[in-house]
Amino acid sequence: MHIPDNYLSPSTCAVVGAAMVPVWAVAVNKVKKEITKAKMPLLGVGAAFSFLIMMFNVPLPGGTTGHAVGGTLLAILLGPWSACISLTIALLLQALLFGDGGILAFGANAFNMAFVLPFVGYFIYKFIKDRVKSEKGEYLGIALGSYFGINAAALLAAIEFGIQPLLFKNAAGQPLYCPYPLSVSIPAMVIPHLLVAGFVEVLFTVAIVAFIKRVSPGILYEGAKQKTRPLYGLIAALICLSPLGLLATGTAWGEWGSDEIAQVVSGGKALGFTPQGMKNGFSFESLIPDYAVKGLPDVAGYILSAVAGAAVLILLFKIIGSVKKNKTENISG
Amino acid sequence: MPEWLLKDENYVPQGDKDTFINKSILSLLGVLSRIRAQGGYKTDRLAVNPTLKVGFTVLLVVLLSISRSFAFVIFINVYLLAALCLLKGEEILKILKTSFAVAAFTFIILLPSVFWGNYYSICMITPKVFATVTAVNMLSHSTKWNAITGAVKSFFVPDIFILVLDITIKYIFLLGEFSLNMLYSLKLRSVGKNGDKYTSLSGVAGTMFIKSKEMAEDMYSAMECRGFTGEYRRYQKIKFTFADFLYIMIHMAIIFVFIYLERA
Repeated sequence: MHIPDNYLSPSTCAVVGAAMVPVWAVAVNKVKKEITKAKMPLLGVGAAFSFLIMMFNVPLPGGTTGHAVGGTLLAILLGPWSACISLTIALLLQALLFGDGGILAFGANAFNMAFVLPFVGYFIYKFIKDRVKSEKGEYLGIALGSYFGINAAALLAAIEFGIQPLLFKNAAGQPLYCPYPLSVSIPAMVIPHLLVAGFVEVLFTVAIVAFIKRVSPGILYEGAKQKTRPLYGLIAALICLSPLGLLATGTAWGEWGSDEIAQVVSGGKALGFTPQGMKNGFSFESLIPDYAVKGLPDVAGYILSAVAGAAVLILLFKIIGSVKKNKTENISG
Repeated sequence: MPEWLLKDENYVPQGDKDTFINKSILSLLGVLSRIRAQGGYKTDRLAVNPTLKVGFTVLLVVLLSISRSFAFVIFINVYLLAALCLLKGEEILKILKTSFAVAAFTFIILLPSVFWGNYYSICMITPKVFATVTAVNMLSHSTKWNAITGAVKSFFVPDIFILVLDITIKYIFLLGEFSLNMLYSLKLRSVGKNGDKYTSLSGVAGTMFIKSKEMAEDMYSAMECRGFTGEYRRYQKIKFTFADFLYIMIHMAIIFVFIYLERA
């Protein structure tokens, strides 16, 4: 679901990015006001969870791959606004460090995965939880919330892909950016997510919420005991398991490189050309492209990337937490 | 009542520039507060035997500097970042600030070589410097200084070096306090414009020197009176904890990765 650069026109990126700016502004304000300094590192742990969950690629029908996002999970654990911040930072890290998702398309990716996904998921969860007052009701809310959250995000990504050929064509009528219209992109993105990725998301969300409820309920409910050590343990376990994501070999739909796209088969025939905007578009060299380190086996590179991503996210929010602490001390003292 | 007492006085001292004294005071205070903060360090995080820590940090720096594989350098950087997660936010901030500053400086220094087409050094040396500075800073932030001098003893460093190191660390603090007081008094006594302020500085330095000589002699005789023969002995039971075991295993893995990546 990470839209690479040059699949969306720069104007689309600008519009969606601009839509994201007020969301970020509100989110930063809310987090500043509502999240205590002690809870700040949890945002980092959440971002690390999401980062790792996104590394578990699953093969999807149609020869492509996909992954869960964990957005609803973060929204349930931290609240939707904090989830928005955590997911944004995780996506930014993926774009800058690992070349997963474009730099220009960052706004669009953030809109789909850091805004729509956690909010849709969270409100469905809340809606059901408030009406069915039992443990089963809560888990039903979690499952449905996460299922519809990720599918809403996939649908939006498909719409963003699909409007490109309608809006941007060269003189010969060939699409400049993403070549697939809505009639192709929506089924291609949404059906696999409805059938497989949605359930993977539900699985991750329910399993992790259940785990946290058992070992550290203080994260979910005020006043209960809160332990962060099991969370770090869970992160370590996810890191060790992350190479499972390498088993799914295809490229995710809409994430082909510019050298791949001409050979992509859809509806029985290959595309046969490389859209102009992709051939000579914006390109960015990330430090560890595609989670592979030169000179290391794929599995080692993947684990190393997982450790690096999780560590950077935890460090970042720990530092933010410590800076925040100094500020409140200055005000009171 | 004498007449001069009843007269109104309006003496306005001339403005003077204090920036250099203020700066010296600030930098002294910075060093002192760092040494003082050392006393408060908890050792429950990264509670690994300091001897192991010193030894493996040195090993890490050596491996980093002789490595020719980019993958190894990235690997070490990732390992250090992960280890950094165990520290507290404030410490992380301090350590990373230094590391980024030094790495940025290295990057700028090496930038000209890129214009001549040499990408190798900038790709290798900048992350190497980053990793080295982070590793050493992590050691100094997670270990007390007396633990480090103790660890140095286990590496068969001659006692005279340990004596000097030990006394230096203690005396940086004491002499720092003295010079701080002298700078304060210089500041307080300079009313209005004091042209001699800069010449007083040599006085401060001279007094410091005499003071340190006296104090060193006093301390050495006091140590001799208490039976110090110039020999350091460690009275510490070596406890081998799970953390130590983990630490050794991680570094064995690092050595293994180093050999694996360098054999090509």
